[in-house]
Amino acid sequence: MDRLMAHSMKAYQSKFAGVIQETLALLFPIMLLGSFAEVLKYSFLTPSGFVATIFGITKWLPAAKQISQLLGLIVHCTVDMIALYGAYGVTYSTTKAYGRQTSALSGAIGLLAFLMVTYQPHSHGQLLFNRTLMGQGLLIALMIGYIVGRIIVTFEKRRGLRSYQIIWPLLLVAVLSIAVNVAVSFIRSPEVQSFISSTVMHAVSANALSYVVGMGLLTDLLSWMAVGGPFSANPTFTDPAELANLNHALKTGSAFNVPFQYTDVTLFHSFANFGGNGAVLAMIIAILIFSKRRRFLTVSRWSIFPALFNNNYAMMLGIPIVYNPVFLIPFLLAPLVNMIVAAVFLALKWIPAAVYPVPAGAPGPLIGFLGTNGNWLALILGAFLILIDVLIYMPFVKLYDRLDQNRGEQ
Amino acid sequence: MMKRTVKIWLWAIFGGLLSIVLIVASLQWSNQNVSELTRHHNSQLSPVIMIPGSSATENRFDGLVSEINRHRENPHSLLKVKIMNNDKLHFTGRIRPGDNEPVIVVGFQNNKDGYSNIKQQARQFNVIFHTLVSRLDFNNFKAVGHSNGGLIYTVFLENYFSQYSNDVRMTKLMTIGSPFNFNERSIDNKTQMLSDFIKNRRKLPNNLTVYSVAGTENYTSDGLVPLVSVAAGRYVFQGEVAHFTTITVSGSNAEHSDLPENKQIVDLINRYILHSKKVPRVRQNEPRLN
Repeated sequence: MDRLMAHSMKAYQSKFAGVIQETLALLFPIMLLGSFAEVLKYSFLTPSGFVATIFGITKWLPAAKQISQLLGLIVHCTVDMIALYGAYGVTYSTTKAYGRQTSALSGAIGLLAFLMVTYQPHSHGQLLFNRTLMGQGLLIALMIGYIVGRIIVTFEKRRGLRSYQIIWPLLLVAVLSIAVNVAVSFIRSPEVQSFISSTVMHAVSANALSYVVGMGLLTDLLSWMAVGGPFSANPTFTDPAELANLNHALKTGSAFNVPFQYTDVTLFHSFANFGGNGAVLAMIIAILIFSKRRRFLTVSRWSIFPALFNNNYAMMLGIPIVYNPVFLIPFLLAPLVNMIVAAVFLALKWIPAAVYPVPAGAPGPLIGFLGTNGNWLALILGAFLILIDVLIYMPFVKLYDRLDQNRGEQ
Repeated sequence: MMKRTVKIWLWAIFGGLLSIVLIVASLQWSNQNVSELTRHHNSQLSPVIMIPGSSATENRFDGLVSEINRHRENPHSLLKVKIMNNDKLHFTGRIRPGDNEPVIVVGFQNNKDGYSNIKQQARQFNVIFHTLVSRLDFNNFKAVGHSNGGLIYTVFLENYFSQYSNDVRMTKLMTIGSPFNFNERSIDNKTQMLSDFIKNRRKLPNNLTVYSVAGTENYTSDGLVPLVSVAAGRYVFQGEVAHFTTITVSGSNAEHSDLPENKQIVDLINRYILHSKKVPRVRQNEPRLN
């Protein structure tokens, strides 16, 4: 633990880490707004959402559809475009960290570079950008922004640039962005894509225990890297294995002995995804109980509401968990333990498989409970697993408090 | 420090109460939802829904149904639905309890010919279908469309049916004398409707079995609809649905309007569309042939 602390201290103080942390801090309020809007839109005001279904909100609330559309506006401009802000922020922080005055302008250039990379050349004159990169390309945006920042800093160091002379690095950035854009369109070309999807799709229909656990971990790891993973954010209940399970359960009237016992729904969504990827709900509880860190407490309090409905974006950027080596360990460990414990319960037939459809945006601990049509042991298991996860997160949360104390003494 | 502990407890109590409300409410919903799903999934009901041609009413298939039910101990019940121009529905007849294969005939107040009317009728059929699915709770059905009825079904399949695709399956469709290219005698002159059908054919369900039956008075027409126009259906269905079979009927009662009473066609419906086993009615003093 002490070695981990020493390492994290070092990482904590490096210039690069500082740049990333500053950028993520800049993204947090935007993402928080977006996640509130997303939860309200998809869980409260969409007819198939959880709260809307249970309490019939869309039936009695006047103008529910219009409010939902307006919330969609917020979601599209925040969550769906978060990489844009990332590109701006990281270029800004990079040039600032390396001590130049042009940082605000550089931020705009970083934004420009990212827009040039995501623009789709075959859009017939319309302004069309790559949606996947905009929403899930934060990692790429950070890389682009950092490189742009370093280019500008290098130019500045040599010549002592004034703002009107920034045209040279700007040209270089434009040429590089075009090159990347061409490379991206090649990767997105139909031939390459069908190759990728044929290899990926093939795997996703498998349902071995190790496979589901592995894919679950991969989803968590990718979400730690701010990239979309193989498992969707909400259980879909529409892939062949789920349908086979549901049909079997409806026919026999019981969710025990279903054909596919270990699937993303029965293990990952039902028991390993409380508060979103990485069982972040448990982390919030751990912070509220054990931490004294101002920033952690504020971010956690704001993130409770979205996290109750499995939306962890605000925590990911606010703490930040993203690219944070210390929190990567519990972020992977907690879901892993949950999936294994749940698999043992399933294997011993102590709980049935979660096969019945649950509306989108249901609170994590309720997915397993409703998916089994109200198996109380499944609910108790969920609560117990959250407790375990809080204990898993506890030492890491406390580690940060000690880190602060040490820094204060230095 | 003391203050913080109290605060945490207050929040914990609040969270606990909220959880109980959520658990109770969602459990109630889940129980109801699962019992509905079970009923739907295990439903044995598989109706035959018939749409008549233009100018016809919901009584158009009375003769056909009594023909089908002749000598049956377990006749198919007949339910008729008429939809008015304001989308109000009128039901006549009823489904006998235990009858798993009732015949449902729909009629439109606006039963005029022409593509714009057909589109209107398809939209109205969707209203009827939506009501039928939610009231009768069947998970599969068979379809018969005479003349324009077959065209209404095609518009419905291409534009409306996808919303039911998870819940309801159309297993078989029989179109009888349906003019897919209206009165055009050449396939080179495609009407707007046929072009639309071909354009949207990918939306047709790919597990559907389609029978296209044509009547013939002479070598080219059933007296009203050119054979070429009926045969144009292949450009819509062939290769897109699971099975597409064309059948040509000739002889007595093969004129366009007589087709629903044609002996051959009644036989085809019995053979290809209906599933429930015929229990022959045994009358006294009637010689029984085995």
